[in-house]
Amino acid sequence: MASVLSVALPGTPADRLSALFDAHHDRLYRLARRLTPNTDDALDLVQETFLKAARSPTSVPVGLTSEEAWLVRVLINIRRDQWRQTAVRKRHDKEMRPSAIVDNDQEAVLMARATVWRALDMLTPRRRAVVVMHELEGLTISAIASLLGISAITVRWHLSMGRRDLTRVLRPQIGESHENR
Amino acid sequence: MKTVRDILRDADPLSHEPHRFEQERERLRQAVVVAASEATPPASPWIRTPIALFVTVALIVAGMAAVGSQIWSQGGATLEAAIRFEVRLAEDHPTAGLREVRKVGSDRVIYLHEEIIVSNGDIAQSRLVQGDGPSRFGISVEFNAAGIEKMRKATASHVGRPVAILIDGDVVMAPVLRSPITTSAVISGDFTRAEAERIIDGMGIR
Repeated sequence: MASVLSVALPGTPADRLSALFDAHHDRLYRLARRLTPNTDDALDLVQETFLKAARSPTSVPVGLTSEEAWLVRVLINIRRDQWRQTAVRKRHDKEMRPSAIVDNDQEAVLMARATVWRALDMLTPRRRAVVVMHELEGLTISAIASLLGISAITVRWHLSMGRRDLTRVLRPQIGESHENR
Repeated sequence: MKTVRDILRDADPLSHEPHRFEQERERLRQAVVVAASEATPPASPWIRTPIALFVTVALIVAGMAAVGSQIWSQGGATLEAAIRFEVRLAEDHPTAGLREVRKVGSDRVIYLHEEIIVSNGDIAQSRLVQGDGPSRFGISVEFNAAGIEKMRKATASHVGRPVAILIDGDVVMAPVLRSPITTSAVISGDFTRAEAERIIDGMGIR
């Protein structure tokens, strides 16, 4: 028998937001943390995303997949505005200069991680999101395209350019002089 | 040799940070729910009457039609294109009002003018051309009448200075103008065949 999944719409906007929060908070935090330099920025980004939904709950589409896509796009747009304002790319140029000498292995590991994470700051938030979703979340090209509302061609383009930029900056960590495709 | 994926996984903060968001979740949840309660007023009674509702819908449809016709008249190619193509004037030295950008794949920095000279809607045709090596390719872009006129006007007084070709916001090329550009431009060739074809397809016009 064919079945149709019905979507239960909570009564008040507060109920709707509450349900939205429970369904998507963890996923949004994971993405936010991978798009930002630190935990505080990630928490702020998630909060700002849900507040946007709270201010206009009727603009959030119904259905788990559509809700997730809407929230992810809003989150990336907010991050893009922050990224532009803080001119991360300029800061990045200074921060990516060779680091100070470290005096133990643990510190070296932490610094290496920080260097890699800072390198991501040079990517635009949308490109960074594409790289993160593909390389860390394991999403397919078509899944990313659907989530972000862009074509698979554009996703591939962002992925290719993102890898190229990261390879250029992280050559010492990669340990090879040519680019990784 | 490590891959980009390997080093990103090694550095992923989610794999080695404490999950602070679990402690923050309830506070944040409360803030969101309160904001939702305060932000959304109940629907106005007048909009519930059939006539008022009809008038409202009619106004919205008329507004959409007016705005839509203006947008569509500017050229459907821009709306449908998956790859955003732009040409802008640029400078080698910073000046007030210019945006600093780095050319993709190099350390060269240029300074972009705000105004877009031509974009997808100004392209008549784009095609694959042989690039700098046996397996490298470029893209030849031919402009339509409006594009030719815009390029001629913008580049005539810019000879000796750079012009930037952007794809999806990235400067992929910034040649110094030796003469005004009019009918076409070639995005020269550091693309693989697949990359170049993807860009051409994404420009929406072939």
